[in-house]
Order: sequence, then structure tokens, then C-alpha cells
Amino acid sequence: MAAENRKTTSAGARLQSSERLKEVMAAHFAAILEAQRAKTAPVAWCTSVGPVELLRALGFEVYFPENHGAMLGASRIANEVMSQAHARGYSPEICSYLTSDIGAHLAGKTPLAKYGFTDVPKADVLLFNTNQCREVRDWFEFYGREWNVPVVGVTSFRGLDEVAAHHVDAVVRQLEALIPTLESVAATKLSAGRLEAAVRLSKECSDLWRDCLHTAATRPAAITFFDSTIQMGPAVVLRGTAAACDYYRVLKEELEARVAAHRGAVDAEAFRLYWDGMPVWGKLRELATLFASLRVSVVASTYCNSWVFDALDPNAPLASMARASLELFIARAERPKQRYLERMAQEFQVDGFVFHDARTCPHNSNTRFGMPQRLAAATRLPVLTLDGDLNDLRCYSEEQARTNIEGFVEQLEDRGPL
Amino acid sequence: MIDSKELIVSGTDVGTECVKVVVVDRAHKILGRAVVPTRGYFQDCIQEATGVALEEAQLPATALKAMCVTGFGASCAPVASLTVSETACHARGAFEHFRRPMTVVDIGGRDPKVIDVDAAGRTRSVHSVRKCAVGIGTFLMFAARHLDVHPTRLMDLAATAEKPARVGSYCSIFAEVEVIDLLKSGVGAGEIALGCMHSIAERILEMGGLKDPVVVTGGVCEYFPGVLGALAERSGFAVELAPEPIMSGAVGAAHFALDSVSQAR
Repeated sequence: MAAENRKTTSAGARLQSSERLKEVMAAHFAAILEAQRAKTAPVAWCTSVGPVELLRALGFEVYFPENHGAMLGASRIANEVMSQAHARGYSPEICSYLTSDIGAHLAGKTPLAKYGFTDVPKADVLLFNTNQCREVRDWFEFYGREWNVPVVGVTSFRGLDEVAAHHVDAVVRQLEALIPTLESVAATKLSAGRLEAAVRLSKECSDLWRDCLHTAATRPAAITFFDSTIQMGPAVVLRGTAAACDYYRVLKEELEARVAAHRGAVDAEAFRLYWDGMPVWGKLRELATLFASLRVSVVASTYCNSWVFDALDPNAPLASMARASLELFIARAERPKQRYLERMAQEFQVDGFVFHDARTCPHNSNTRFGMPQRLAAATRLPVLTLDGDLNDLRCYSEEQARTNIEGFVEQLEDRGPL
Repeated sequence: MIDSKELIVSGTDVGTECVKVVVVDRAHKILGRAVVPTRGYFQDCIQEATGVALEEAQLPATALKAMCVTGFGASCAPVASLTVSETACHARGAFEHFRRPMTVVDIGGRDPKVIDVDAAGRTRSVHSVRKCAVGIGTFLMFAARHLDVHPTRLMDLAATAEKPARVGSYCSIFAEVEVIDLLKSGVGAGEIALGCMHSIAERILEMGGLKDPVVVTGGVCEYFPGVLGALAERSGFAVELAPEPIMSGAVGAAHFALDSVSQAR
């Protein structure tokens, strides 16, 4: 039986690459700011797993509002401003990225102020893909109306068992149909060579990011989920650029050095967990510290792996972009999702699963159709469900989460042969 | 008078409604116990309850070789040699009595838990209630006030009803509003009181993880055994009450305290 006082330690070992990460992210925002101020390039908004390669090939500076949503959550500005969106008819029950981003715009507040912005950057076009949820389109249409600019995108398939050729074809046709509008806004023609180059860089970024994440498969894990949620920035906002690849080479080297030195992200790692669902952005540090104090490494997650696009192929740009967007975990049915989670549990040698049921993000919450129970039965690993939200901290109880996590770790300690 | 050189330990469960303390000897015999309502600062309540339990045991505080603390306010305990989670303590408290695999349902003042306990007394899984359905104790206190009875009379009132009024289980605040709506509609107070017990039983069922046999711990069923009946009726399972259910967490904590002293030796 568990019987010891637990000492609080830090949130884990700090990555030296983080200083470089700050520079990379600052340069990304500086480029958007410059494009907006000096009109050096058109500015596009793109959903985080949208067809960014088209925009790169056409010379857009690309802004990703979900990144802003995460920053609003992490800085806790979200809870100060989302009521302004609620007051305009955007329900507290819908995506709190959307409500906090629109609320921040209405309130004139943004964590991008440290990069010189006074508001979110004004787009010349907004490009969505509903492979993750319908909310992204509603979100972009708010700004489309606000700025009177085109909102275009892909209305994708969701809940797919297997990705079939006809699904891919349908998305390819939609991607092709986007091109005239994007060319018109960019005032240039799409070059096949530039599209191939963008897809090649996206694939390279994806492979490097996967390698970085995979350093957590060793014992002790070189990186935790909590670090990865920060380190994934370039994979989200700079996919299709050399800058992202350059950064992940640096990070990969540091992580591989940790693996070689048997140095873990968490001191004296005792247990390894898998995280499914969104981060609780406003409690990232607290959760990282709590897990580290319990000598638990959260070694892998569905969320951070969502920017690994194995299907990308520069030899078949549009078809591979379409396939990559459809193969994403979030776009799949319960059976392939479960198979994926089982495979990840084996690959990362986890002792249990933590599911985050994010109140305002049903699409990223895999707790509501019996998945935790089926997964526990199939893997014989214990499962913990935490209620919370990505940004709306009213949906999260720190005390309830803490007692549940502590109890879960005691359960792992007591666990005998099943 | 107990020899203060004996192996004596305490288990303390710092809940949102009450602080419970037991003082036990090496044979797990309870020498003293106390239940003090939680009000003001947790530290003061813990001190008061510990004092009462030691007084009943006729022992000085220095006699305690270990003090294990659990519950919502465990981190507020001024002196504790050990802190263990509520789930582990309730599971242990129930297991030390029943000595068999079971589902332990801890229904306390705040958030109930469904705990799967195996044949060795180990916790296999824990299910918690969603955030908006917490506050079971507060909900019952609210119901008693609006039904104009002392909380200890709520159960007597429920016993007068043949069937429960429909009180929702989704959210504690929604349920409180429904109690007032039912009163406004002229529904009998007994039916509403019984409906409140069923509301709590439904919250437990909605958490999932319930398997036969079920043992209930925690203060709610100590004072409101109607919840136990509602749980049995709605689940169709054999539902038993742990002895002195309000003390289960503290008893489990005392067992952990004894373990810690034995291991240290």
C-alpha cells in the first residue's frame, strides 16, 4: 500500500534549446508584423492542421489562430476576455479557443503584445480545414465578416474508419478549387515547384518532430508531454519552412544527447503515462510540477503527435496533403483511434492513460463514447479521466484534479499482476 | 489507562463537512474517536478533533507515534507524519473490515468516488464525479433548509414518502433550483427529500465503474441512509454500509499510519 509523503520537485529538467525556440517564434511573429505593416507579403490565417503548403507556395505569411488560443490560455488572459464573445452569442459550451480569441479581439488584449501586436494580425484571406472540427470555420467567418475578406477551406470527412481513395479524391478536388481564390489574393500563380518544396519541408519538419517526440520512448523519457506542448510551436506555425526544420535539428540533438546520457526530463522517473486530449493551458506548469513531484513522466500524447504527417509526399503534393489531413487521429473513428492508442502505449511503454475531457472540445475528448473503458480492457492498463478544459478554467477544479492524480499514482504503486 | 509507550497512532480525515479522527493501537482497536464539523480554518478543526479523540483515549498528544492524514484539507494538517489519498484510505478502511473484492463508493461532503478494490485490497480503478455534480453535503444542507427541517431530520422526512420526486443529477446548482421549483409546485416535502437521495444515487451511477458487491463509506450515508436504499434500488446490486461509514477514511488512514511505523522498525 502507498504510504509516503511526496516531496514537490520542479516541473522537470529545462531544455537548453528553449532559448533558440523563443528566437524562432519571435522571428515568425516579426515576419507577420512586417508583412502587415509594410505590405511585403499577403497575410493568411490557417487552421493548425490546414493546407498550409498552398499558402507557403504562394508567398503568404501565415498566422495560426489556435496558437494564439493556446497563448491566451497559458497566459490566462482567456478567462478575462471570453465573456465578450459569450455576450455576442458565442456560447460558453463551444470551443474556448474560439471564444477566448474573439473575446481578446473585442477586448483589445493579446499576448502577442510582446511581439509588437496590438490585436491579432489582419488577414487577407482565411483558410480552414474542418477535419478537426466545424468550429474553425465559424471562428474564421467571424473575422471574414469583421474584415470583409474571403474565407475559404476544405469541408472534410470525419469519423473515418479507413481513409479510402474516394475520400482523398474529394479533398484533392476541394484543394484544387481553393487555388484560384488564393492566387487572386496573393496576386501570383501557384508554382508546382514551390508547392513541392513546401511539402518537402513540411514532411521533413514532421519527421524531425516525430524523432524528437520519440526520444520519450526510452527510459527515462528525454521529454515530457508538458515540454512538448511548448516545443511543438514551430511544427504548428512554421510547417513548410526551413526555419522549423533547423530548429528541430537542434532540439533533436539535445534530446538524443539526453538519451545517450540516460538523463530523463523527470528526476528518478518511476511511472510513465500517456495523455489523451488537449492540454489544460492555464495549468500546464502546475500539472507538470505535480506529475514531476510524483516521479511520473507523461511520455506521449495524442495532441503533440497530431503534427506528425506521415503521408506527406513532395512527389504527390495535393494527394498527400489530402491523405495526411484525413489520416489525422482527430478525423478518425473509434476503432482506428483505439488501435493507435494501443500502439502508442506499447511503443512508449506506458503504465497508464490520462484522458482529459475538455468541456468545450468534444472533438479532442475521447472519453465520451466508452473509449477509456475499452482501452483499459484491451491493454489492462489503468485509466484516469480528468475533467477540465483547454482554456476555460471554470471547467477545471485544481483540487479535484490533484486528488485524482495523486490517487491514480498510488494505484500505480499498488498495482500487482493482473 | 493506556500505557503511552504503546504503539498508538491516529488517522485523520479532513473533509469539507466534518473532520474525523481515530486513535488506534497496534491491534487496530479504536481507543478514541471524534467528528467535528468543518468551519473556519481546517487547522483549528484538525486540532480540535485530535484533542477530542485523544481525550477519549485518555492519552497525551505525545503518545502518537504516527499521524496519517487524508481528505480534502489534508495539506492543512499542522503536523502529520504521512499523507495518503482519500481513495486509498476509504478503500483500506472498507477492506480491513470486509476482506474481499468489492466496489467501494465513498460519498462524502464534496466529490464522491467509485473505487474498484481487488482481493488483496488494492485499488484497481477510481471513478470521480464531474465537476458540476460535486458538493453532495452542501446540496443536502440546502435541501434541508428549503424543506424547513434540521439536516438530521431530512432522512425522517424522506421515509414518509412512497415515491421520490424527480430531482436531477447533472449539476448540484440545477438540482437545488429544482428543489425550489418542486416546492413551488406543491410537491410533498417527503417526496422531495427522497428525490434528493435518488439524485445523489444517480450521480453515483453516472460515474460508471459500479460492480457487485458494493460497500458505501463516507458521512452522507451515516446521516442519510436513504441514499443507500436509492443506490440499491437503482443499481440492482447488493449495497452494504461500512461500519461507522463516516469514519472509514480515518480508519484507513490509521492503518497506513500503523504500516509506516511497522516499516520504520
